[in-house]
Amino acid sequence: MRSAGYNPPQRMMHKGSLWAVVALMCVLPAARAANWEQPSADLAKQIAALAGPGPAKLILRNDSSLASAEIPVIRRLLERDLRGFGVVTGGSESATLIRITLSENLRGGLWVAEVVEGTETRVTMLQVSMETVGPSAGGSGVTLRRSLVITEADPVLDAQIFSIGGVQKLVVLEPERIVTYERNAAALVASGSAQSSWMEDQRFAIAHTRAFPRDIRGELMPAQDHLFDAYLPGVLCSSTGASTQIAVGCSDSDDPWPISTPGSGAGSSSGSNPGPQRAFYNALRDYFTGVLAPGVSMELPPFYQAADFPRPTGTALLLNGLDGRVMLIENNILKPVSGANDWGSDFAVIRSGCGSGVQVLVSGSGAAATGDSLRAYEIAGREAIAVSAPVTVEGAVVAIHTANGAASEAASATVIVRRDAPTRYEVWNVAALCN
Amino acid sequence: MLRRFVISCVLIGVALAAPARTRPHYGGALRIETQGDPWQMPDGLARRLVLDTLTMVSDNGAVQPALAVRWESQNADHRWQLWIRAEVHFQDGTPLTADAIAASLDEVCSHGACPWRMVRAVGPSVIFTSDSPLPDLPELLAQAQFAIAKQDPTGAVVGTGPFRVTGFANGALTLVANDDCWSGRPFADTVELRSRRTIRDQWLDLSVGKTDIVEVPPELLRQAQQLHLNVPVSRPVDLLALTITPNGALASREMRQAAALSVDRTALCNVIFQKQGEVTASLLPQGLSGYSFLFASDRDLDRAHALRGGASSPALTLGTDDTSAAMQLVADRLALNLHEAGFNVQTASPASRQSAPLQLRRVHLEAGSPRAALDEMLARFGQNGTVTGTDAESLWRAERGILDNETVVPLLWLPRAWDAGERVRDLRLSIDGQPLLADASLEGAK
Repeated sequence: MRSAGYNPPQRMMHKGSLWAVVALMCVLPAARAANWEQPSADLAKQIAALAGPGPAKLILRNDSSLASAEIPVIRRLLERDLRGFGVVTGGSESATLIRITLSENLRGGLWVAEVVEGTETRVTMLQVSMETVGPSAGGSGVTLRRSLVITEADPVLDAQIFSIGGVQKLVVLEPERIVTYERNAAALVASGSAQSSWMEDQRFAIAHTRAFPRDIRGELMPAQDHLFDAYLPGVLCSSTGASTQIAVGCSDSDDPWPISTPGSGAGSSSGSNPGPQRAFYNALRDYFTGVLAPGVSMELPPFYQAADFPRPTGTALLLNGLDGRVMLIENNILKPVSGANDWGSDFAVIRSGCGSGVQVLVSGSGAAATGDSLRAYEIAGREAIAVSAPVTVEGAVVAIHTANGAASEAASATVIVRRDAPTRYEVWNVAALCN
Repeated sequence: MLRRFVISCVLIGVALAAPARTRPHYGGALRIETQGDPWQMPDGLARRLVLDTLTMVSDNGAVQPALAVRWESQNADHRWQLWIRAEVHFQDGTPLTADAIAASLDEVCSHGACPWRMVRAVGPSVIFTSDSPLPDLPELLAQAQFAIAKQDPTGAVVGTGPFRVTGFANGALTLVANDDCWSGRPFADTVELRSRRTIRDQWLDLSVGKTDIVEVPPELLRQAQQLHLNVPVSRPVDLLALTITPNGALASREMRQAAALSVDRTALCNVIFQKQGEVTASLLPQGLSGYSFLFASDRDLDRAHALRGGASSPALTLGTDDTSAAMQLVADRLALNLHEAGFNVQTASPASRQSAPLQLRRVHLEAGSPRAALDEMLARFGQNGTVTGTDAESLWRAERGILDNETVVPLLWLPRAWDAGERVRDLRLSIDGQPLLADASLEGAK
């Protein structure tokens, strides 16, 4: 069962993401080679200013996290650029020694050159960006494909792409503000990087009178008569305006959060409920209380996440309890789901059209770790069955949401990943593709 | 070295990852034991739990809002205005005001030197004025010594932090979750902080389930890791350094340089600290500055002898105010190193250690950015020096100028580590290696 057809451009967004990935893959080798061109030229210039033209012996040492395969590339570039300034390297008998250390500090790479002539050593340094592009991964039944949407320095709770007036807007929900971005097609073509194609457009502070909980969660939902609602613990923000420039107002609210799409009637026997199923959120904690509106005919335990899940007999409600147990509410019966011990607290239901047509995207369980994973499951009867290989995630998955902004078909998910050293939050769009 | 630092950063990073994959549960009592005083400066755990600072430093060295939500530099960093977060209350229910912050900082300054001349409240903001520019004031205000506190009518210290003190009995301080904390209620209901416990007792208590979190000193870190214990490790945050008073036999720079060249840092690191430190001759860790390898740390006994020129050495004493066994071993080994270079050095008795011309010190680093860190280290060592510029080369030149005087001889950078029992989830460390107990949760809690 599909929801009412507002926010239709899901397919467009999906295509855009794919196009971005393809473009990214095409430009990747060139981008990597070009990474070191400018730093090499800059450092060579600084060295030449100290050493002057003439022969020199060059020693290059890597004391950074750069892969060893990068070192010969950098060395060749440095030798070439030094030659351009008249500094000819290679002479082992040369009186001038240039010792370059590819070092690193908290700001990124630090290339340090020591020019040794007799007993005198002169030093010059260059701060270098160490940005690299990560790979994607595949699976068995379905393939999970991820594309980086944007990277933020501040915590991100959710991010969704909405369409307004023919313009795509990326809306990023942070604990203290909502930031909107607009697609910059020219930047996308020039850089080949999907994330660099978003330009900040507007930002709105989130007013709230009481403190947010420590493990704060939030969700962006499309709205019928305006662009979106943002749900945070004890706060509801709504956009206004139909033009490309919007306004956002926030107020204290204990309204329940939508957990299913309108008309799905998730969990009930009839499936004829006109509105979405909603759940009350405990604004002082990090979970839903278990009280639903309009509700189901049973008492539910508190849970972290819930979503409607298409079943042959109608739409069920899939939820993940605080104790880690995953349950299905189907025809007003609570059914435990086996094979979900490895599930983390968050999941998203995605309608890929592959296999059974619907998969659940989950992260790994346990405490935060240096590496996390994403995996797609299908639920056959009461059993969760992995249908993709786990996709390694560098960092910790901190939230998963169905991509429901411009994606009423929900064929992909928004995954928020926290990366460290330095701390940043990556927003990924993860789609399940048919093998 | 760098690899170790990166690993440290990753470990901190793990620790700093906010929500875990399985979300943290609320409730339960978290028990922790330490050797030190819970209120000691700058790293007393109770201070960190009860009090907040105006700003805080993230794991990547960025200054972030805490009790101050924004700040502005004026008059070329001679004047700073910080706006105070609204709707924040002390644990006794009184509102946090700019006046209360100014009063708290005045109290701090009355006990020691503050770098600013005056702090005053203006509406919802506080204004700092100084005679010299303070470009890193926001980061400086993240230091624990500038935490905001007040006394309630009973004389008890209250703050705005995630826990409030409710009692002290049988050597344990009990703290209860502050439900109205501006940064969110902590996950644990209570923290039981047992201080002045020896490492041996701490580990014993952890092994029998009497506590949840204990200290792992660097000299035992390797052992803990070999036992596959759950040990988050910080970046290098404690500097071991030899300070030399430039008087008497050590008045000349050559003699101080000879003393510095006689030290075998690698042996200290490998033997006493089981390779868990970073050999250094720099005031900043390599991972923070990126350039510390430029300061030579190798022992050069021949040059040390040459610099001494065969001069006879009067008896010198080497003192340390750290009474731990590891530091006593370091002091003994330093005395031996100096003796091999021709110095007549004896370790000082506890009574005379403060007057010793050679001092072994362990100095804690809180700052997260290179310039603020260098400023902090200069202040801790009582060195005069102006750090201008923010680029690595400027910092290196400034540091070289200071160390050239040979009155501070950096030896080793050491990490901090904690061992968490099986009940503890998501134990995170602050950038200066302190456990962030408000963000830790307990398995089985609801």
